[in-house]
Amino acid sequence: MSRVVFRAMWLTLARDRSAIAMSVLLPIAFFLVFASIFAGTAGEHLRVRIAYADEVDSEESRRLLAALRREAALEPAAEVTLSSERVRELVRSGAADAGLIVRAEAEPLGSVGGFGAPPLLLVTDPTRAVAARLVAGLAQKAYFAWLPDVALGGVVELIDLDFTELDPEQKEEIRRELQRLRLETLEAAREGSERSGDFQELVEIAEVERPARGRNHVAYYAGAVAILFLLFSAVHGALSMLEERDSGILDRVLAGPAGAKALVDGKYLFLTAQGFVQVSLIFLVAWLAHDVDLPGHVAGFALVTLAAAAAAAGLALALTSACSTARQAQTLANVAILITSAIGGSMVPRFFMPQWVQDLGWATPTTWALEGYTRVFWRGEPLSSLALPVTMLLVAAALGWGVARRAARRWESL
Amino acid sequence: MSEIARRLEVIEARRAIAGREVLAGTSLSVEPGRILALLGPNGAGKTSLVRAICGRLRLDSGSVRLGGRDPRGDAAARRQLGLVPQEIALYPDLTARENLEVMGRLAGLSSTAARREAATALGWIGLEDRAESRTRGLSGGMKRRLNLAAGVLHSPDFLLLDEPTVGVDPEARERLHDYLRELRGRGMGILLATHDLDQAEEIADAVALLVDGKVRARGTQDELVRAAFGDARELIVTLARPPSPEARERLGTEGLAPTAEAKTWVGPLEGGFEGLARRGARLRDAGLDVAEVRLRAAGLRGVYFRLVGRELEP
Repeated sequence: MSRVVFRAMWLTLARDRSAIAMSVLLPIAFFLVFASIFAGTAGEHLRVRIAYADEVDSEESRRLLAALRREAALEPAAEVTLSSERVRELVRSGAADAGLIVRAEAEPLGSVGGFGAPPLLLVTDPTRAVAARLVAGLAQKAYFAWLPDVALGGVVELIDLDFTELDPEQKEEIRRELQRLRLETLEAAREGSERSGDFQELVEIAEVERPARGRNHVAYYAGAVAILFLLFSAVHGALSMLEERDSGILDRVLAGPAGAKALVDGKYLFLTAQGFVQVSLIFLVAWLAHDVDLPGHVAGFALVTLAAAAAAAGLALALTSACSTARQAQTLANVAILITSAIGGSMVPRFFMPQWVQDLGWATPTTWALEGYTRVFWRGEPLSSLALPVTMLLVAAALGWGVARRAARRWESL
Repeated sequence: MSEIARRLEVIEARRAIAGREVLAGTSLSVEPGRILALLGPNGAGKTSLVRAICGRLRLDSGSVRLGGRDPRGDAAARRQLGLVPQEIALYPDLTARENLEVMGRLAGLSSTAARREAATALGWIGLEDRAESRTRGLSGGMKRRLNLAAGVLHSPDFLLLDEPTVGVDPEARERLHDYLRELRGRGMGILLATHDLDQAEEIADAVALLVDGKVRARGTQDELVRAAFGDARELIVTLARPPSPEARERLGTEGLAPTAEAKTWVGPLEGGFEGLARRGARLRDAGLDVAEVRLRAAGLRGVYFRLVGRELEP
């Protein structure tokens, strides 16, 4: 009997073009948009628009600003150096993400151990805090890479004053060496060549556990979008149960030998199969368009997807069968899905969220499904590592199924 | 199987929901090869009774017997039942054939049997040429026929119909009646819940009048009419204008009762046409402004009116 309900569900879906679009084409389109929008949020393509002011206008300040202008991550908001007031204005209006002012009323560049204000002032907007941090880091880097004579000169001065007095001969030799460094950086700037500086580079950036091929964040968003739409389509399909109740089909079915369980089971199997196909299509597109390594992780993918589809089907059926009207179920489902997806990480990766929200995420199927996909595609872990996420999803699936079967029994006996 | 064992019986069924008795000691029986019209206004308990027969309504007391078995919790007993709900209980995006196959399977047929019976049923209701059309696109009459066919694919012993001709044009309605007569001819016991008096008069072998969850009268039409009117006929008096309080009193003493239409009064009339002439003269003498006096053979309408005290609203 469940099989025949499955078949009726399949034929109804196959003939409802808007439902197919809703469950197949829309999630794929959504995924492609998400993948390109959020690809940049990791920061690798971030460009900060910056305005410069130079109140000092010394050779050192000009060299520093010139070095920053060569920095790829910074996009000058104006070709020329502006007044401090103008820089503040541009930041205030949003025309620049940050402003950098070389201050006159501060310690000079190269000063070490002074008591005055720092030589550079970074003007920023609270909504662009990340931009300020980035510029601060880049300014430090430019200072050490392109003004090593200034930086070292300050250090030498400090040693001479506080540690051990240098004799005139040593001072002259240091002066000559600093001059040579200065000329070398000027030459490099003119030629436009790379310069890491005379200081040992402190930091090297490398990505952790990069998979053999494919792009991590795309696999993440493929999973995130897939789970979001999995929940929506499951609810859409499960609502047919309430429609069947209103249209008298349920009355007809329950008058015969089949019980409400047959109806719930048939729909459960169909929605699980539908969800599996839906998610597979999204990952297929992710593989073809974004090089996510689906062929390399078929087994892990299938395991997580089947469990996630079953969980979505179970929960959707539980929710709709517990409601008394389609409108009530639709409203409740929309709210539940949006909250679950937000907390679970379908919209924004969970590490952006406060710790307590991250903890709450473990109560959602979304988090467990994404955890499963992360283990498969990002960390390339073995199938055995999927035991926990898949078990959690199957528990949700079984719970939902049980609740739906129980709730549907109230239609059998009034 | 003996005739009694094949009967559908409801015995003293009672059920209160939220303090209101939807079934207040209801009893009736449906015999094989007979159509019983369950006649009553909206809210009388017709749908509750149908649900009780399907085993879906828990009874506080009393029982339902399908061929001697309780349909509640007995899937095999329910196999003898076919239900045609008031709504078009079909999947709109499935074709006529697919719907019949699905409903046949859900009624307990094997897939081969469901296919065979669906093909037969399509021929029976004259929808062979629309077998592959989606149900959504069929006319109202076609959907009604399909709705009926979906309830009898598994050849049930008893068929329950809940207002099967609501919103159907006269031609389609007549056609449905023909199908019901045919099913009766095959020996099916049919319970037709309706508030359509004409329908009941036209095809029912027996009638049960259900009011406020209780069967107020049951029997063949003749039996009911005889019990209510004896040999009398039904007199319908239409006044030129609504009667004054005094006139109303006078009409009452003449054995007439008001209807939903203030100017129309009805009551039994004995003595044929002579009686009619005498009564007409008396009313005129009493100063009543009579516009029309009619006489008709007493029917279910009159029976219902006499028993319930109001018209059965269409």
